[in-house]
Amino acid sequence: MTTASSEGDKPRPVFQVRNSQTSKRWQAFMVTCLVTCSLVSLLTTVGIVAMLIFESWGFFSDSRINVWEFLTGTSWTLGQTQGEMSYGIWPLLSGTLRVTGIAMMIALPMGLISAVYLSEYASKRVRSVLKPTLEILAGIPSVVLGFFAVKFITPYLLGPLGEFKTFNAMSAGIAVGILCLPLVTSLAEDALQAVPKKLREGALGLGATRLEVTWKVILPAALSGIISAFLLALARAIGETMVVALAAGSTPTFTMDPRMPSQTMTGFIVETFKSESVVPGTLAYFSIYAVAAVLFLITFGITLVGQIIRMRYREVYD
Amino acid sequence: MSIKTQDLQTRGDESRKFFSSSFSVICLLVSSLAVVVLGTLLFSIFVTGGHWLSFGFLTASHHENDPEHSGIGQALMGSLLICGICGLVALPVGVGTAIFLEEFQPRNRWLRMFHGLVQLNINNLAGVPSIVYGILGLTAFVYMFGAFNSIRVNSQPDFEIGATYFYQTKTLGGTYVKFPAVAAVQPTLEIQTDVSGTSADGRWKTYEVVTKFHPDPDVPLEEQDQPSYLGRESTSVYRGEIAKLIQKDGFDVYQAQTVSGEAFTFPAKPTYNQFAKILEPIEVTCPDGETFKLNVLSKSDPMPTDDAIKARSVFADSPDPKKRSSASIFRENSFFHLHIPFSKSVLSAGLTLALVVLPIIIIASQEAIRGVPNSLREAAFGMGATRWQVVRGAVLPSAMPGIMTGAILAMSRAVGEAAPLLAVMGGVLGTTNNLSSLMDKSPVLPVTIFKWASDENAGFENLSAAAIIILLVVLLLMNSIAIFIRYRFEKRMGT
Repeated sequence: MTTASSEGDKPRPVFQVRNSQTSKRWQAFMVTCLVTCSLVSLLTTVGIVAMLIFESWGFFSDSRINVWEFLTGTSWTLGQTQGEMSYGIWPLLSGTLRVTGIAMMIALPMGLISAVYLSEYASKRVRSVLKPTLEILAGIPSVVLGFFAVKFITPYLLGPLGEFKTFNAMSAGIAVGILCLPLVTSLAEDALQAVPKKLREGALGLGATRLEVTWKVILPAALSGIISAFLLALARAIGETMVVALAAGSTPTFTMDPRMPSQTMTGFIVETFKSESVVPGTLAYFSIYAVAAVLFLITFGITLVGQIIRMRYREVYD
Repeated sequence: MSIKTQDLQTRGDESRKFFSSSFSVICLLVSSLAVVVLGTLLFSIFVTGGHWLSFGFLTASHHENDPEHSGIGQALMGSLLICGICGLVALPVGVGTAIFLEEFQPRNRWLRMFHGLVQLNINNLAGVPSIVYGILGLTAFVYMFGAFNSIRVNSQPDFEIGATYFYQTKTLGGTYVKFPAVAAVQPTLEIQTDVSGTSADGRWKTYEVVTKFHPDPDVPLEEQDQPSYLGRESTSVYRGEIAKLIQKDGFDVYQAQTVSGEAFTFPAKPTYNQFAKILEPIEVTCPDGETFKLNVLSKSDPMPTDDAIKARSVFADSPDPKKRSSASIFRENSFFHLHIPFSKSVLSAGLTLALVVLPIIIIASQEAIRGVPNSLREAAFGMGATRWQVVRGAVLPSAMPGIMTGAILAMSRAVGEAAPLLAVMGGVLGTTNNLSSLMDKSPVLPVTIFKWASDENAGFENLSAAAIIILLVVLLLMNSIAIFIRYRFEKRMGT
């Protein structure tokens, strides 16, 4: 039985009793405010797309620019010192692909294995070390990892391995890989955890080993989530800026050699902003938008595909 | 009949078990690599930067070529201010969006479409690279799509409060005098494009630069109130020399000569940020009766280019007394100084960062709101509350710890974000004036780290590591606050 409580113990009323007409008007006002808030995020997308279209138009409509050459050319000298002007996107694009490729070779297998370990094997004690480590790693700003790539990975890790240039695709790729590792791990672990326990128990009961359960039951069941995690990490690596700006160098090269410097699309954009020589209305200024448009199309496409995969191919368990 | 274990085992059982257990060892090794990486990273940074930490480092500002006396005072202040602006803008907007998405399922068909579109959009926005946000900030906040004042050169921003303009000059006697500059007598640079000719390859053109004073283009000269101290001469037209359009560092620039014979360059298209040129000396009588020669330099405004500063100093040091005095427009800002477009300022930077962290805040708040048990909502509805009252009285208070945690994590992302700030403010390392208003530029911590790490002077490398330590400490503090809030609120909610 409840006893009568003193006046002081009574919780303060959360709602004031109001005329219901006032409440409804207040609610209509608040809903308008909330819709306005939501409009901001929508306008951001509209702003990005409109800006990229209009300002890239300033680039492509220039009489010196040929769209075909932009999309197929293998030499890029905009933003460089005097010389023949060439504006083929491929050196920048291949730089991005090189760095991203190396990063993915590190982040995807390591991330997946860590996720499997955390989700299927790890004891509570190991988890309590690994999880916070990954969280801290995820919170490290990319400029710090860029510093780490230049001052540590290049001289001490790659130095003994061969003739690496001071700024090279390899060390940038490794650092971007480290950056993407926690992302892959946590997303893939979420996907693995979503697989119901009875699938594991069923397989174990049939006499499968832990490895077989993981490899033949859990991974196929979580495949859509894992692939979408991979795609998100890929988009993140392509859009990564500060690491490549610090570690990949500022020379656009069209090569497959990971020891060479390789300016990426994001690297070019940052280099142009850093030098502060960019003047609105010039060709170099508009070229930023053209490169950013390519970058945006690629990352947006990957994110979209990732979302579609996650939504359409998700195995639904009840 | 007894069954032996042997009978149940299939072929290769031993190797299967061996693979399984060795796989778990491999897993453990690979996973612990993350610990090794983190340890190496922290260790190498502390070894490089640790002994550079001092109180002086925390308060000093950047000094060119002088790592010993450089510090992160301004950068730390700038970072905190920009993150403050970012939080003030992104938090209400983000939480508002999350409430709209989670608690208000509209019945209206259009609103429902809008609802779905926003939800879809959030997930895509989270995947947009931060440098693209930086470019958006540059276009939308710094230049405002060129919608304001982008065609007329050297004119003031369309909208400005909190700034006083004045001319400052050195008289022949060597003293400095100030006299007010009225917007009406600001010199305006005009560039006439179609003049002499084009080079054979079409890469550069010859232009004629005409500089004149435009007191007010709409009012006839005779009817205008002229400030007495500048006299009628100021309205005379001066025909400048020919400026050539050349390529410098891959960019289009004009090149011309100053009166003293120095070559200087200025941006090629008169759109946003223009440089002007030096005029013929004119005679000026000050309010106190002293007469002196005055060369009016029309300065690029609001931000002078390096060339503008160079041209001014060349002029002031000239041995020719005729050319010794020069006046240029200076500006004194009050703390509420504000103009449109925002130009490269702390405000633009804060707003840009707000866009970067908005999706993160929205997603975190949505998750926090989703975690509120339905029974709370139903109880509130049962008492006759409107939907907003349910949100305000029941949902928000119990989702608050989650929202605050997400918000602080988003803020710690904002503190470390360098790329958008580089795009919006450029690579500022130090400013001569301390931060006085939201329209000032300021160095920030991550950009300082970036610039120092890529500085040719090796001493700045170690400073960069020291700055990283400070940044990591700031992040650690923020995360501790997040954990503390979560702990505190959870205890009070009793869940």
